Amino acid sequence: MLHAPQPDAMPGPQAPRAASGHFDELRGGNTDGLAAHWSAFFGHAGAGDPAELNRRSTSLERQVRDNGVTYNVYADAGGPQRPWSLDLFPLIITPESWKHIETGVLQRVQLLDRLMADVYGPQQLLARGLLPPALVQGHPGYLRAMHGAPPVGGTHLHIAAFDLARGPDGNWWLVSQRTQAPSGLGYLLENRLAVSRQFPQAFENMHVQRLAGTYRALIDNLKSISPGGRDAHMALLTPGPYNETYFEHAYLARYLGLTLVEGGDMLVRDQRLYLKTLKGLVPIHALLKRMDDQFLDPLELRPDSTLGVPGLLQAVRAGNVLVANAPGSDFLESPALLGFLPALARHLLGEDLALPALPTWWCGERNAMEEVLPRLSECAIKPTYPGSAQHGSFEAVLGGELSARGLDEWAGRIARQGDEHTIQAYLPLAQMPSWQREGERGGRILPRSVMLRVFAVANGPQSWQVLPGGLARVAHANAEIATMQRGGSSADVWVMTRGQVDRTTLLAPALTPVAVAQRKRLVTSRAAENLYWLGRYTERTENTIALARLALESLNGEDQSSVPLLTWLGKMSVANNLVLPGVPAPTQARRVFERSLIAGLGGAAPSTSVGYNLRAVRMAGSTVRERLSQEHWSLIVRAQENLTDACDAQTRGGEFSTMQALDILKAAGRHMAAITGSQTDRMTRDDGWRLLSIGRHIERLGFLSRSLALGLETASVHSDAGFEAMVALFDSTITFHAQFQQSREMAAMIDLLVLDRDNPRSLAWVAHTLRGRLAKLAGSEPNELSALSLQVPNPNSWNLDQLCMFDALGGGAGARQPMTALANLLAQCNDAAFDVSEVISTTYFTHSGESRQSVGA
Amino acid sequence: MLLQVIHETRYDYLPPVEVAQHMAYLQPCDTASQQLLSHSLLVEPRPAQQTSALDVYGNRRTFMSLQTPHAQLRVVATSTVRTTGRAMPPSVLAWEPVRERFRYRADAVYDPAAEFVFASQHAPRHPEFAAYARPSFAPGTGLFDAACDLMHRIHQDFTYESQSTQINTPALEAMAQRKGVCQDFAHIMVACLRSIGLAARYMSGYLLTEPAPGTQRLVGSDASHAWVSVLLPDLADTDRWCDFDPTNDRWGWGLPGEDYVLLATGRDYADVSPIRGVIHGGANHQLTVSVTVTRLDAPGPETAIQAPGQGQIQSQSQSQSQSQGLSG
Repeated sequence: MLHAPQPDAMPGPQAPRAASGHFDELRGGNTDGLAAHWSAFFGHAGAGDPAELNRRSTSLERQVRDNGVTYNVYADAGGPQRPWSLDLFPLIITPESWKHIETGVLQRVQLLDRLMADVYGPQQLLARGLLPPALVQGHPGYLRAMHGAPPVGGTHLHIAAFDLARGPDGNWWLVSQRTQAPSGLGYLLENRLAVSRQFPQAFENMHVQRLAGTYRALIDNLKSISPGGRDAHMALLTPGPYNETYFEHAYLARYLGLTLVEGGDMLVRDQRLYLKTLKGLVPIHALLKRMDDQFLDPLELRPDSTLGVPGLLQAVRAGNVLVANAPGSDFLESPALLGFLPALARHLLGEDLALPALPTWWCGERNAMEEVLPRLSECAIKPTYPGSAQHGSFEAVLGGELSARGLDEWAGRIARQGDEHTIQAYLPLAQMPSWQREGERGGRILPRSVMLRVFAVANGPQSWQVLPGGLARVAHANAEIATMQRGGSSADVWVMTRGQVDRTTLLAPALTPVAVAQRKRLVTSRAAENLYWLGRYTERTENTIALARLALESLNGEDQSSVPLLTWLGKMSVANNLVLPGVPAPTQARRVFERSLIAGLGGAAPSTSVGYNLRAVRMAGSTVRERLSQEHWSLIVRAQENLTDACDAQTRGGEFSTMQALDILKAAGRHMAAITGSQTDRMTRDDGWRLLSIGRHIERLGFLSRSLALGLETASVHSDAGFEAMVALFDSTITFHAQFQQSREMAAMIDLLVLDRDNPRSLAWVAHTLRGRLAKLAGSEPNELSALSLQVPNPNSWNLDQLCMFDALGGGAGARQPMTALANLLAQCNDAAFDVSEVISTTYFTHSGESRQSVGA
Repeated sequence: MLLQVIHETRYDYLPPVEVAQHMAYLQPCDTASQQLLSHSLLVEPRPAQQTSALDVYGNRRTFMSLQTPHAQLRVVATSTVRTTGRAMPPSVLAWEPVRERFRYRADAVYDPAAEFVFASQHAPRHPEFAAYARPSFAPGTGLFDAACDLMHRIHQDFTYESQSTQINTPALEAMAQRKGVCQDFAHIMVACLRSIGLAARYMSGYLLTEPAPGTQRLVGSDASHAWVSVLLPDLADTDRWCDFDPTNDRWGWGLPGEDYVLLATGRDYADVSPIRGVIHGGANHQLTVSVTVTRLDAPGPETAIQAPGQGQIQSQSQSQSQSQGLSG
């Protein structure tokens, strides 16, 4: 501790009070001083000094950004990925408060599971009138296809989320529940890692309960009851990278050790579920589902779904695959159900609910509607069937924010279509302290409304545990409804414990040999395809950066009037999309050409220059996010964002200069070097990596052979400046001059760029490596080649004398004579790059969703 | 009547389909009005797997999985049924108490027919349907009379026009156009009844055509057909549903007539479409459906009328469930 801040200098006590009518978390209600746990929090070193808090808040922001934590605001291809927003301070929950929440949530998840078992089984609750049919048969989420099919292991709900609000009196209330595909279990882990790192002492000394044990219990239980038993192969089913919470699907899959799969990665045969991998079909025994039920199986559910697996429901009903949660739980999410749960708890459990829900009226019941209509202005109006295509659905509204006329209109609508409307009492949300930076050294605490999402997970037959933590959602200033779509923020949740802190880690103690072997083999066909393209775009980005630098340097260097060099650079730039076809060649209008090249660097449409390639790297990377290390992914994100930001900033300021462009390219080049380092050095060399490497080498083979061929065609290599430029493009200037001093001999160049087996940028090295990797991918014995390997020209048959031969032209100018043997070899290499790519695509990739369609008569 | 139905569905694919999964509702039900005497399902090429089970409504559905490339799929269902016309006991219950039956109250008695009261995909809730139904449902009118009246009106007001709609044409659109095919009329009638709180089912099946001399040929013959059944709670404990066919303006207990064959019962077409599937490959496909209904115990010469199927090339861009050949 450097210095103990003076108590009155600490930001806590000076913080404004929560708005009137809201519970003040910081002061534990209405007392004057800070609540004991907040005093303890601020008392720990560094947690009380504004400058220090600013530093941590900046560091937190950077960490979130570097980790690439995103929340896709709009779930479509072009939609923005917004960085996840995370508050510096955690929401701290005392042991007493937590005990109450935990008891109430455990009771509720058990109730919901029993309720679901009845609805998909004997339906006695309907028969007894305890449950309105409108909320079961009338709910689009009730899946008739699952009726009479008990789930594997007997549990319907393996994960259930409960959104809680704290009222003015400090009591917790249930607001809503999520069972279909609740989000948050990944984000909250990321929040925990980031925030606990900022307050290590407070975290340790305040006995904050750890989270890993709960995830472990969830996975252990799923495995033990799934058809695969202890060696079960489990996967996490995601709708894909365009889903708003894809980040956490990838994150959770990595953290839990599950294979991340999309519907197109799997197929059903003989009522069993299989994963398509590079090595054939591999059974899947359990699916953790992050997809809405309606999309699971286009054969029986939505026929237009391209996300699911045809036949999946048959496999589920046959008991051959465990899907968590069991399909068909969506009806449990209707707010209308909340009003019926107290009576159902008494009937099913013989108990009263320990954790009350906010008073809720389903207006499909006339008495309830008549009771609540006069109180509309004090309530929230919510859709009974959110998102339903067959019902009127709408955004929830607060009665208090409506005009008298607005209230009348809503009352009319409710009277006409009571069943579609659910009214919930409005509760002013508790407000927690939130750190707001103000300048460099200043800042202050402001109260912000907060809602808490907690999770119950199944840990055995009819047994659940509550994750001791959660996801706090913090509303913007003045906002009353905290949602991520509306630009709120989030906070870590610290649950203090009186007992032992649970130090379980997620690392399973003993993987069985079967599981280990299985884990090693699994590369889904889709991941393989994306890794291959990650490799190709990585190489393409490096190549275009090198070419752009070379072009800009040459155009402004001592050889700027070398016509062969300029001709070559012009053609190279068009061939590699640095400038659009139709831009004047540098030999015609050097400055126009240069400006076009610079303007296109950022890759904004229609340009497909460096920035475009980097975006493709990021896109390919994001789809295999779970296979990349944190550092690797951060580098990709930073490389892409830095280049885009820099180019945007320069473009906004008018045209930007060659010097600025070169600086941007150099920075991007450094990032790429680090990225390729990660790819070479920090990835497990399984078949997935092999495809990435093959992608890079195919791209390099094509680029190298085309560049040399253009050098010959334009005769640029026969000029001093063009010769130097070619050597420079292949990063070989130092090697070349070390070997050959100031020689400009073609033979020397051919030796280094074509034949040298020690130069990773020579054709022979690339061809040799490619042949080896392709053989290994095909499972050939060591030192044996596969059929595909043989499609790549064999460098052993290349001969320097032959390649250096100029065509005999009766006494013409030697330097201009064509070199047919070399040109032929280059053409062969370029063709091989194209052909091998085609074969890889048809042999190894899924082409998922490409041609799947629903038919009917 | 002793009736034989041959229902052939054929897909021709270009290029061939690699793998496919299909689900079929092609086996007629056993009910008080209809006895299933024989049924066979021929599938070419032979599926790698074929299973069948009852669905939640008691219909028989068959799953087929094809795992080798095929340029054509042929599914032929051949069934023989004996249908019986039954005199319906009188139903005098007014429509309002039936609506009240499905209004939830604390002390409400549950009626499993609640399954058929709510909006569904092809019979959504909309004020248009309620407005159209209203003239038939004056206060105190008997439900049976009101349903009959609604059926007459749909039959009169709507033009039967084959090919005027696709199965993904919403009932609302057919309502606005005042024209459609049998499943549109059935969906419209179902939606009208549900919009005022009554229980109505969608019935999928066939209708025999015997153009007797001097009588008009019935529309919907020799094709799949669809009609409606309405809950009349006071009919009988065992069979509370009365069938109405708005396409042909006919009604009856258990079936609209002896010349009908019932395949399956559901909330709407989506629950019981005769065949639906998901295919990989086969960017273009041509669908041919032909249905032949023959009376086996008919006096006089047997006449089997082969209804020409309707085919249409579909392009890959269409991913919705398609339907042709359903002209009833």
